[in-house]
Formats: sequence, structure tokens, C-alpha cells
Amino acid sequence: MRLFAAVLLGKTILFLTKYFKIGGGSAAPGLYALKLCPSLVEKISHHIPKNIVITGTNGKTTTAKMLAHFAKASGLRVIRNHTGSNLERGIASTLISKVNLWNPKLSFDLGIWELDEAAFNTVTPKLNPNSIVFLNIFRDQLDRYGEIDSVVKKWEQSVKSLPADTKFFLNGDDANVSKLAKAFKGKAQKFGVENYKIYGEAVAKVKKQENVDFEAKNVKLNGLNSSKFTLTIFDKRYAITLPLPGIYHIYDYLAAFAAGISLGFKPGVMNGSLKNFSPAFGRVEKLDFGYIFLIKNPAGATQVFETIAPQINPDDRLLLALNDNLADGTDVSWIWDVDFELIQNSSRAKSRDHTIVVSGTRSYDLALRLKYAGIKPDQITVEQDLKNALKRAMDGLEGRLFILPTYTSMLELQSILTKEGIKKHYWKESD
Amino acid sequence: MKLTIGYLYGDLMNIYGDTGNIIALKKRAQWRGIEVTVKNISIGDRIPTSDVGTQIDLYFFGGGQDQAQKSVARDLAVSSKGKVIKQDVERGVPLLAICGGYQLLGEFYKPHHGQKLPGIELFPAYTVAGDKRMIGNIVIESMFGKLVGFENHSGKTFLKKGSLPAGMVICGFGNNGKDKTEGCIYKNAIGCYMHGSLLPKNPKLTDWLLKKALEVKYGKDINLEPLDDTLEFQAQITAIKKFS
Repeated sequence: MRLFAAVLLGKTILFLTKYFKIGGGSAAPGLYALKLCPSLVEKISHHIPKNIVITGTNGKTTTAKMLAHFAKASGLRVIRNHTGSNLERGIASTLISKVNLWNPKLSFDLGIWELDEAAFNTVTPKLNPNSIVFLNIFRDQLDRYGEIDSVVKKWEQSVKSLPADTKFFLNGDDANVSKLAKAFKGKAQKFGVENYKIYGEAVAKVKKQENVDFEAKNVKLNGLNSSKFTLTIFDKRYAITLPLPGIYHIYDYLAAFAAGISLGFKPGVMNGSLKNFSPAFGRVEKLDFGYIFLIKNPAGATQVFETIAPQINPDDRLLLALNDNLADGTDVSWIWDVDFELIQNSSRAKSRDHTIVVSGTRSYDLALRLKYAGIKPDQITVEQDLKNALKRAMDGLEGRLFILPTYTSMLELQSILTKEGIKKHYWKESD
Repeated sequence: MKLTIGYLYGDLMNIYGDTGNIIALKKRAQWRGIEVTVKNISIGDRIPTSDVGTQIDLYFFGGGQDQAQKSVARDLAVSSKGKVIKQDVERGVPLLAICGGYQLLGEFYKPHHGQKLPGIELFPAYTVAGDKRMIGNIVIESMFGKLVGFENHSGKTFLKKGSLPAGMVICGFGNNGKDKTEGCIYKNAIGCYMHGSLLPKNPKLTDWLLKKALEVKYGKDINLEPLDDTLEFQAQITAIKKFS
């Protein structure tokens, strides 16, 4: 009865937020429904035949979206928290919006749940997942989570109590993630990219490449569009073209593919469906006049710069937006750990003297970072208001515009693009 | 002119944009035609002294995670580094230590469980583990004017009688969240809890460190060439207004 009331309350809030357009409805319905029925997530989710949990600092949303894409290509009905609301309330909100009030037995075959680093420990037991994927651990919003060492220690504790038959997938190139294999009762499977390691926060350096079960070899990056590589699983090899740029997306693919295998999906079906895959909301987005790349922490942002720097032409422009809201992380120190120098050092950018527009609540911090990365102050335009900043950046644009926003700037940007009629839908998710 | 910056345990203690402080020191020296070398001094390394190699002209010591901090504390205790740092500070060499580095240069750090981590007793201060993390933007009033940064620590630092704070808290927690002091200053050494990164947005402090370093090295008064700090002060003022 409590569950019924909680779901009803959640659905009402969801209806109201949508009706009055006061948000995406991805957190509030769950938040209040959980207050009424704290066990809502386990009560509803156990009606879903299989559940998968994906955690890590970077790539959760893209991995979850890709796995959902594979599942659909394999004929499964998927429920997932696709809005990137990856705390318990986000999952509760998703369940509330999809659940049939009179019959909580959901008509879904698979639940794909992305959980943030801290929520993993409390929410995973409630979801009782068949498979778990650990992507990576980087410095993210340390003001919220505390230190990486303590995040990993808590993960180790949680992993110890997992049933041994859980399908357990780890990024073998990230020392902090890879060592979770020791805490796990069953056998972990690892994925990795040849000649590539992640030095997120590792105090002990990885001395040599680990043997991994799913490996991407002979990687060839193709600019802003795609990458090609050979996927090697034991003695099997597959030639893959991934329609996403950068090394970091190869990890997301490997994780999604490995999880797909554990669910019995056919490699041919998964890989065949890749050509129709479009990246997750705002992570990497192709616009008519340029690109949006979400930046949210040093590792992710540096990867974005590594990917775009060689592609920036002299007539292209950059718009960077830094907010310090809770969802962005209130500490902006992280921008000093990002390799902004890459913009200046890219071979094509050498002949460039155009303006970089910086925006957001901490736009001056960003401008300063650029100055200390070697960019001349007269190349930098500071415009705190994002709408005006976008206008400045687009005015007389001859090349492409690369927009790099933090999370809440990205949300604001999407809404501006919609209102200005530059993009049709604020929230276009096919699932 | 030339400067050698000693980045203490830079490979282990570099959390929350500490590297930004090194970037700021380096750039502001280079913009004035001063040649800069940054030397990482880590576990197993020796600090160059007057009889071996080039002396360090300016020290920076950042923050780290618990595990790293433990190994560093051990190394400071068993190596001669602590002694050399203290001798250098006594002869006027400037030093900036933030968060973990600041704690390790005090008298000791007392964790919740287990033994006290000994410090090198450069700053007349000690730190006790706290229950609550003190997180948020911080603005202080100091001899360099207002300084702004971001603090994130659970250790509470207490200054001993007669020791000088780096500044007084206008908003934020500071050393311990109680007595309104922030950081500690001894000779030309400053310890504090301010990340942010601290030096890019607070150029007066950055230049003071550079000036002191050059004065000790060259044995004469140094007047640094002024730079156009419009962006620096805009960033500083925007942050100060936003938080205080």
C-alpha cells in the first residue's frame, strides 16, 4: 500500500513538473516517493528479470546507452535511467515513470542502471544486479565524494559482499579498478586497450600491461568522427568501426560489449548495430555548426582536448563554459589539472589568432587558466551569460564552433539551443 | 636571472589543482624573463644543498590522499629532507605548503586511529583529525590583501602560542573552523588550506614568493617588473564578491 501511495505521489510530481515545465522530472519524483517508501527501488526492480549496474567516473551514460542499443538490437525491452540522474532518486524516478500502477510487474527484460561512485555502495544491493561494470575512477567532484582512495576502499567493501556468480567486468587498464578483482569472490573479467593505461589517481604506477579478456588492438583514431580497432577476445578477432571519437569511447564500447556477451547477445548483432548508434545526450553532440563535448573533470576534459586539438582549424572557434553549481562540483581547482596547453600546442592552431569565448559562473577562472596555458588575453572573450556568449561565438562564424560546457552549463546550453530554434528537441532520447 | 623551484613530492602530493600553483609561479617568472626549473623531489631523492648541485630557491608542497600522505610523512622522518627544508627556510627561502603539505610541516598529525604522524616542526602548529570535512570557498584577509581559495580538509590545525596565522577568515572555515585563523606563516614560509588553485587568482602572493626567492638567491633587493594583471584581479574580485 505504501508502495502504491509512493508511486502515485511520484507520478503526480512527474506530471506536474512536465506540465509546468519546471524540470526534466529525473530526480524530484523519486526523491519524494522514496521518503514515503524507502524500499521502492528493491520492490519494483525485482520484477525486472535482469539488472545491470554500471559505475565509474567517466563514460557511464555512453556505456549504458550503448548497452541499451545492443539489447534492443537483440530484441530486448530495456528500462534505464537514461537522463544521467544516477543517484537512487534517479532510479526511483525512472521506475515510477515507467511502472504500471495496477501491476508492478514491469514489461521489461533488462534494467540498465548507471550509478555514481558513491551511490554504487548503497543502491547496488537493492538492485541485486546480475552484472556489474566498473569503468574507471578519476578525480571528479572530490568536494562531494572525498578522496579517491576512500571511494575505492568503499567499493572494495561492497564488492566483497557480492554473490560469486555476479558477472563482474573491470577496466584492466585502471589500476584502482583492476584491483577490485581481488576483493571479488567470483572471477572477474577485464577489458582494456592495447598500449594504453589510465593513471587516474594511482599512487602505485602500473608497471606493465595486464592481460585482459576483451582487448582493443591496432587502434586507429579517425578525428572527430570515429575510431577503428581490432577487438580480441581470446582467439577471436573482430574488426570494429566505432562511430565515436577518442580512446575514451573505446573503453565504453568494450564495457558495453563485454556486458552484452554476459547477457547472451551475439557479437555480430552488437557490432552490426554500431553504425546506427548515436552518442549520449550532450556528451558528444554534432550540431549543424559544430560540436558539443561535455567536460566535467581533469581526465575527461584532457581526453576531449586530446581528441579535438589536432582537428581545430584556424577558422574554428571555441566556447568554454564553467559553472560551479553542485552538479558541476563547487571546487573549480580541477581546471588547473586539465591540459589546456593542448589547445595552444596543436599544430593547426599555430596560425590561429581568433577568439575563444569563455562563459559560466566561473568564466574568469577559465579565462585565467587559458592565459596561463599560453593563450593571449586579447584572444579571450569573457561573457558570463551563456546566451550572450553563444551569440558572440556564433556571430560571423566561418568554421565550426566547439562548445565545451560543464554539466549544468550543458543543460542550460541545450535549453538555449532549443529556444533559439537551433535544435528541435531539448530532450531527444530515443529510448 | 634563474630560479629553481623544488616541488616536494609532486608525484604524490598534487591534489585539487596544486599543479596550478606551479604553473602560476613558472609563468609569472618567465613573463619577466626569469628562467625557471621545476625539480620534483620525491621519496628516495635528496634535496640539493650548497655543496651538491643547485640549491632550491622556492619550495612548493601540495596536498595528497591519506595513503600518499602516510608514505610522505615516513619519508620526511627518515630522510634528511626535513632538516634541509628547515635550514633553507631559516636562511629565508620562501615556501608554500597547502593542505596535506601544510599539515606535514607542522609538529604532528593525529589521526582518528593509530599513531601520530610526526611532522618536521617547521610551523609551530599541530593537526588533529576531525569528523566533519570542511569544504567550500574561503576568503581571508592577509598581508597580501584579500585572498580567495577553496578548502577541503577534515584535519583541524591549531596554532601554538606566539605563532602567526597567514590570515584571518572572512568566510569559510580556515585552520579549524573555530578561531577564525587560516594557515600559518613562519619567516618566508606559508602553510594554508587554500586550493583553488591559490596562486593564479592571488598574484600578489605569487609575486611575493618570487621576489623573496630571488632576493635570497642573489643577495639584493629585487623589484619585479609589473605585469598586466587585469584578468587575475577580475577573477579574484569575482570570486571574493561571490563568496563573501
